[in-house]
Amino acid sequence: MSRLNQTLTVAKWEFMQFFKWKQELIGKSIMLLVALGMYLWHNQVLYQPEPQQIVSNIELQGLQLDDDFVLRTESKSNDALIAEVKAGNIDGALIFASQALPQKVTLYSQGKMSWQNDLQVQLNDYARSNAAASLNLGPTQLALLEQPLQFETNYLDEAVKDAMQQSSITANGLLFLMAIGVFMTFGQVFVAITGEKQQRVTEQLYSCIDAKTWIEGKIIGQMLHAVKAMTTTAITALLGFAFVQVILKGRALDFSIFDFTVLPWFIVFVLVGIYMCTAFIAAIAAAIDDPNHSGKSAFMMIPLIPIVAGFMMMDSPSSLAVTVLSYFPLTAFVFMPMKMALIDVAFWQVAIAFISSLLGCIVIRNMAARMFKMGMTMYGKEPDFKTMMKWAIAVKS
Amino acid sequence: MHIKVDNISKHYKEVTAVNGLSFEVQQGEVFALLGPNGAGKSSLVRMLVGFTQADEGKITITVNGEQYTSIPASELGYLPEDRGLYLEKSLDQNLKYFATLRGVDKKTAKERIDYWLERFDLLERKDDQLKSLSKGNQQKVQLISAVLHKPQLVLLDEPFSGLDPVNQEKVVSFLKELKAQNMTVILSAHQMSMVEKLADRMLLMNHGQSVLYGTLADIQSQVGVGSALKVTFTHAVNGIEASNKLTQFEVEQLNDTTLAIRAERADQLNQLLAHLPELGDIAFIDSQRMDLHQLYLHAIEADQAVQKGEAA
Repeated sequence: MSRLNQTLTVAKWEFMQFFKWKQELIGKSIMLLVALGMYLWHNQVLYQPEPQQIVSNIELQGLQLDDDFVLRTESKSNDALIAEVKAGNIDGALIFASQALPQKVTLYSQGKMSWQNDLQVQLNDYARSNAAASLNLGPTQLALLEQPLQFETNYLDEAVKDAMQQSSITANGLLFLMAIGVFMTFGQVFVAITGEKQQRVTEQLYSCIDAKTWIEGKIIGQMLHAVKAMTTTAITALLGFAFVQVILKGRALDFSIFDFTVLPWFIVFVLVGIYMCTAFIAAIAAAIDDPNHSGKSAFMMIPLIPIVAGFMMMDSPSSLAVTVLSYFPLTAFVFMPMKMALIDVAFWQVAIAFISSLLGCIVIRNMAARMFKMGMTMYGKEPDFKTMMKWAIAVKS
Repeated sequence: MHIKVDNISKHYKEVTAVNGLSFEVQQGEVFALLGPNGAGKSSLVRMLVGFTQADEGKITITVNGEQYTSIPASELGYLPEDRGLYLEKSLDQNLKYFATLRGVDKKTAKERIDYWLERFDLLERKDDQLKSLSKGNQQKVQLISAVLHKPQLVLLDEPFSGLDPVNQEKVVSFLKELKAQNMTVILSAHQMSMVEKLADRMLLMNHGQSVLYGTLADIQSQVGVGSALKVTFTHAVNGIEASNKLTQFEVEQLNDTTLAIRAERADQLNQLLAHLPELGDIAFIDSQRMDLHQLYLHAIEADQAVQKGEAA
């Protein structure tokens, strides 16, 4: 059997070890149902709201509520209006205590409903206009009071993307997804490798395949898992966003706050970065004999450092530190896509960062394979870091 | 397949695990590695598999005319001392995985898996998780995984450990079947009765060195324990009197009517038979040869004595 086939066999095994069809089907079905629900809601197939029947005890001249409400005035006593609400004849009774400003109004309804906030906003707008009129303020003066300062930032660096909010959300999203990937890798590789050591599978596997093939297959399998987790998280986040937009806020579906143009490069950097992180984590995990008592587990979190640093430096995408880190082999996979989301980056810069990441990946993979080979056959005691470094830099694997 | 081990040594810091060991294994034979715990058997096995390299000496393995320094993975079926499979996975998944890694196609793997599981009475449990099996049954699954790709050499470290007598016999028959298929089998074991049934030749190790090497007959002659007879008389005999009469022989009283009489050399047997009627009427005579277990203990004790003498 060729080395490539062996690698792919190990990768498939590693992936399927943590892949449960039943769970996946249930999870994805729920996501599809949510998406379908939102589509139907958005198109008012599932839910066609009836306008709320509101009665006021005073005449509200000039008030135009939106189509969700039907407002009328009835000169009944307060108790009689409350009784109408109780009887279910109307949805709400607005009882004004006085006509003088500031007006005090109480809304009586059966329970807490989402339309009550909308009604309050519309009544406030109406009251604000009335107050402005009584103070002889025109619409311009009212607008001036409401927003006395119009703040605008103009970046002389032409690379900075105009839609700052959009780029910042995208960069945060990318780093968050990267963190999900690294966390997933950390958990899965830790469990898989320490489990294999404890189940004494190592020698059996070494008699069929060499350590490099094994770690390569393992990395690919676990990397696919991380990518799957990141994809699922991204889709869930988008669905959540859509849920808030469409159902809670009643707005049209609009994903324009995300910059999807960085996605292709992000995927490329994710694959390289997660591969590198998995190799590193696998090398450390191979040296752990007893996961409950080992002090080495903490070192497996090292790949998270660039991501944390990315969050911290996101405000200064043009700084020297970010520029250096976006080319450095061990950090480029985080800093370059983050930078690309925030500012315009020339293609050659991206290419250098990619090549640098790729080289870092190969070096780390080779060192990890040597550490993995030795670590996996050590039972009963853990090597110290000096020994591990000796393995890592040994010429012969 | 031919294995030639030439004067190899392996050291771990101050400990010498294997010390100047030489032997050969021929195609199609069952070769046993014997020795007490810590004798260096597993270190030797790990060098043969290629997990570690000899510090001195040379291992030459010839497969289909090509020479290697360790057994090529495609021709090796290995049952390690530290055994283990994926406990959360089913028997079928485990076996298919290892068969695929060794290049067996799906259809062939399925046929062979079913065949061997049937042989070991495990076919009905094919889809059970491995962890639901007893240790002995798990070991059988591991043995199966070592031969699914029909290797030229099967290397088994303690294949009988953890098995009850019935299953030990099944493993013996399993190994005989491998031998019948012209596979070479190297096994290390402590169950001398099993080894005696199976092994064509053996190597007894102690302190990393060869103590005895060859066929059982070779080893018996190397130990120099001679031949012994178990003689039962029609009436009671006195062992001390018999010993006084048979001064050239070693006499042991087994019960009132039976003596074990040992001659140092086989050519003394005629002389012994001539003297026996002096002790009384003979009911029957059995030959009493040392079995492998006794030979093993005898050889190890002798080697320990030599080592102590050298140390003193």
